[in-house]
Amino acid sequence: MKKKLLATLLSLSMVMGIVACGKTPADTNTGSDNSQSGNTTQGTDSTGSETASDIDLSEHVVITYMTTGGAPEGNQTDEMLRQLNEILTEKVNAELEVYYIDWTDYLSNYNLTLARMDGTVDLVGTASDWLDAWPNAKNGAFLELSEEMLQTYAPKTWESVSPEHWDLCKYNGNIYLMPEDNYAQWTNHGFAYRLDWAKEAGLADGVKSWEDLTTYFRYVKETYPDVIPWDSDGTQYATMVGGWITSHSNYVPIDGINAGAMWGGSKDDLYTVYSPYMTDTDSLVEFAKMMKEWDEIGVWKTDVLNNTSSDNREDYKIGRVAAEQHHTQTWTDLCSHKDGYTIYDDPNAETGFFYFGEETKNVVALSITHGAMAVSAASKNPERALMVYDLIRNDEECYRLFNYGVEGVSYEITEDGMRKTPDGYNSATDGISVNYWWGRNDDLEIKDSTLNWDAIEKLYKEYDAIKIDYPYGQFVPDVDDIQSKIDNINDIHTTYMKQIAFGKYNGTPEEIVAEYQAALQKAGIDEVTAALQAQFDALYK
Amino acid sequence: MANNNQVEMTGVKVKLGASDIIIRTVGYVLISLYALACVFPFLIIIGTSFTNETVIRAEGVKLIPKEFTVKAYEMVVRGGMIWKSYGLTITLTACGTAVGLLIIAMTGYALQRKDFPFRNVISFYIYFTSLFSAGLAPYYLLMTQTYKLNDSYLAVFFPLLMSPWLIILMKNFVKAIPHEITESGKIDGAGDLRIFTSLILPMLKPALATIGLFLALGYWNEWYQSSLFLSSRVAVKPLQWQLYKVVNETQALKNSIAGQYIQLTDVPTESLKMATAVMATGPIVFLYPFVQRYFIGGITVGAVKG
Amino acid sequence: MNKSTSTSSTTGIKKRGFFETLWRYRVLELMCLPAVIFFFMFSYMPMPGIWVAFVKYNYRDGIFGSKFVGLDNFKFLAESGKLFDLTKNTILYNIAFILLGNLLAIIVAILLNEMQSKMFKKVSQTMMFLPYFISQVLVGILVYNLLNYDYGFVNEILTALGREKWGPYSDKDVWPVILVIVHLWQQTGYNSVVYFAAIMGIDAEIIEAAKVDGANAFQKIRYIILPGLKPTIVILLLFALGGIVRGNFGLFYNIIGTNSLLYEKTDIIETFVYRATITDFNFSTASAVGLYQSLIGFVMVMTVNFIVKKIDPDYSLF
Repeated sequence: MKKKLLATLLSLSMVMGIVACGKTPADTNTGSDNSQSGNTTQGTDSTGSETASDIDLSEHVVITYMTTGGAPEGNQTDEMLRQLNEILTEKVNAELEVYYIDWTDYLSNYNLTLARMDGTVDLVGTASDWLDAWPNAKNGAFLELSEEMLQTYAPKTWESVSPEHWDLCKYNGNIYLMPEDNYAQWTNHGFAYRLDWAKEAGLADGVKSWEDLTTYFRYVKETYPDVIPWDSDGTQYATMVGGWITSHSNYVPIDGINAGAMWGGSKDDLYTVYSPYMTDTDSLVEFAKMMKEWDEIGVWKTDVLNNTSSDNREDYKIGRVAAEQHHTQTWTDLCSHKDGYTIYDDPNAETGFFYFGEETKNVVALSITHGAMAVSAASKNPERALMVYDLIRNDEECYRLFNYGVEGVSYEITEDGMRKTPDGYNSATDGISVNYWWGRNDDLEIKDSTLNWDAIEKLYKEYDAIKIDYPYGQFVPDVDDIQSKIDNINDIHTTYMKQIAFGKYNGTPEEIVAEYQAALQKAGIDEVTAALQAQFDALYK
Repeated sequence: MANNNQVEMTGVKVKLGASDIIIRTVGYVLISLYALACVFPFLIIIGTSFTNETVIRAEGVKLIPKEFTVKAYEMVVRGGMIWKSYGLTITLTACGTAVGLLIIAMTGYALQRKDFPFRNVISFYIYFTSLFSAGLAPYYLLMTQTYKLNDSYLAVFFPLLMSPWLIILMKNFVKAIPHEITESGKIDGAGDLRIFTSLILPMLKPALATIGLFLALGYWNEWYQSSLFLSSRVAVKPLQWQLYKVVNETQALKNSIAGQYIQLTDVPTESLKMATAVMATGPIVFLYPFVQRYFIGGITVGAVKG
Repeated sequence: MNKSTSTSSTTGIKKRGFFETLWRYRVLELMCLPAVIFFFMFSYMPMPGIWVAFVKYNYRDGIFGSKFVGLDNFKFLAESGKLFDLTKNTILYNIAFILLGNLLAIIVAILLNEMQSKMFKKVSQTMMFLPYFISQVLVGILVYNLLNYDYGFVNEILTALGREKWGPYSDKDVWPVILVIVHLWQQTGYNSVVYFAAIMGIDAEIIEAAKVDGANAFQKIRYIILPGLKPTIVILLLFALGGIVRGNFGLFYNIIGTNSLLYEKTDIIETFVYRATITDFNFSTASAVGLYQSLIGFVMVMTVNFIVKKIDPDYSLF
């Protein structure tokens, strides 16, 4: 078995070698790697964290951090950065600049900026499930972070991440990512709904299954004619069917292959790849049936697939809709009694959460590379970038400034040690926005006092009792040869699931599912599954 | 125009009457209907921009605002950035149109000169670029790495300066000017440049107005180059970039896989989108009536001859 | 007459030698120079980068250092089995847009030219320009608000009239008509300006002379204005031909969105590629698709231009 793994790794590295082909940029890179490890050999002799004195900090540098999301309007972010940069200058003679990638066309602009390779950005926020972290690492956008580098320049980060977690950040034996692995967040999806209304509908414990949802929606539609049960905009088809499968099987999807997460293993047999979209036919037919029923009940608007102007989440807060489909993090917001959430004017109002997989206790914790920081391969100051990151991730003063802004303006600490916005706070002028989702740290987090922590912690406990860790962290799919098939499968999935998940198909549920599966078959889904299985075997067996 | 009327006055009027009346009646009716169909949606945009957000979500867009509010406009002008954007867009539009128009006119004239031996080669050289482009990545890398135009307004100024289409259109307009005019200029001993500036340009007024209008609209509506080359380091962005951002952001994020993981905060509302659209269209609407003078002036070859 | 000048000048090159000709036409050459430089810098310089369509792009190695993969980037289009249908849809829509668009623009321009009231011309033309300024996203929102089943304007009117509601968002067959209408609505004001200006360019003396000779308005249009517009029409059509397989992504995506019920009649190359690769961002695939579109456009234009040149060299593009 070991031999096989070794052989595959070898051949893999050979392939990579051919790809890199000894091109000059790669050469210079290994060269700089050597020089860095050369620099740091004296450093590792001492205790690691004390080596800062040996590092040449004479030149003041600007470290640019790239993140997705638009630049903020007000000046408060600049003010925060000014204060932060004073500290950073003092400690590591560097300052931090934020480089925002607007949400519109973010994937294209993000990748184009990386492609420039001219040192425009140093630190790069990335994610293995929604921001192409692995493809970018494979394509040479990120710098290989040697253990020596991390020990020397980001010692606290190095220590706080366990060796097992560092292993999950490796591709081809090199570390590329610094994971956000000490931050509790659940982005598993489900339905936030009105618990009080569910009780009225006869669901004493709230919604516990998809069938309960049907009961709930039917009740809401009949009892509150002015309320749209769920004013969906038709973009949630993939999470809907994914949620259904999670709720009706032990399926554990693999991240980062396609948006539908259509391949995975099962909890009982993690390393046998299959696609439930091909195998779980009966379940899919049931799903198609139920969604047709929902459509007939009038859960969503007739033209849901083109609905552009709804804002279901905002409408939920003011009681114009009865459910919101999104992840647990969103629910933590909706269940809290915040300003402007007028549903809570009714003292009975309560927001429950039905999470996908609740029936089968099938909950998978978030991959630790769901948020991670990488260093651009073209960075002119990778060492200093790591030092800055180490501070904004682990230094309390820097962390608070960077995450919450200037105390007294953007936030203040309550008596019980939580944070709240100061009186007269105006988000446009007093708020900050740096979209730092790549190194938050629960040791330094201050709880938001406006959240409904009783309810939230109760659910988190429930999750902790049943969750499994994301099992495929080390698997970086090599999709080059099957990408064209996956692209076509994406399109088939979108085309059919849009109709199925909103009950808009013609013909019987059996027919539409059969048609969908035949199209997948034709697009070569079996070959993709087989290719992934071969890669699994090489890695895990 | 005055001439036309005179002709009609001098007795031919009776003969022309019937068909003229038919055409004009049909024209007035059709054009009016079509013009109304064009304005109506714009009125809806204006109406919606003054409507309360919750009403829009419940009942859709509105021609006449129900629950009138100017909140959306307050948000657009908040911080004053929009005025700086106006300044930038107007400057870019004015400079780009002036420079572009001059180059296009010169090229169009030279390419239409029957005696210019390279005209076919150059025409093809220019036209070919409209068929083949290398795609986004090579263009982006060239602009940022080779020309270093990132975060520079020149990256917006240059690409819109001219297009094969506008040059060929100009060439086509020049074609309507009889070659004799160039010949007569030559006989008078004028050089090519002289012929162009004093004989040809004055006759090209409708063409210059048309192409100038297209250039100006191009600059005014520009958001694409801005979104590629002006990063968050550039504080003042062109007007349409603001519109594009406000209008597209929510939808782009919702449709992407990031939408499954990221929580949307401060989502632009429908009324904000509409208000931004109204503000971003603003002054350019008044450009057309101004340009139109040059159409009505028309050209009369007779004037040159006489 | 014109022909003889041009032939004499070509033979002139041979007699006089290239450099002498170059010097002789220096002023005209200088007049073209800015444009020549411009297209060299912004269009020809990036062109070798089209190589990206044939490699597996790697950031560190750049476009020309990345691994050559032949036609792999074209594979997904071919494997989709939809290439023919998508190309067909794209071309059919474009033909409708081009033909009807120009026809309508010509009618509008001619009618406007007949109008006597300056005020009316100004106001109506300004109004016709408005749709051009409405962003495609807003067009999508407006169309949805007009046509949706639950509270769209059209259905409100139908309900008020006691008629049955109409649900176009689940009826794919009506969309070709709706999309063409929206396109015409948005572009005609803009397009008619070209024709309007071209009419203005027609020698006013000829028109006056025709009137004196007793031509009526219809005859004037038939025998003077339309022939006068011919070169413009030919140029516009030839030009549009180059983009015949390039779809108007903004229009289709914002109106149809991802309503897969309508794809059969509304899917064009751009929308398909967008959907298939939305999670797999890849410069190479996009370039490969672009190259496919360019090649078809190129063949079309060269063929048609050749034919036009045979018939009347004056009308050809080059």
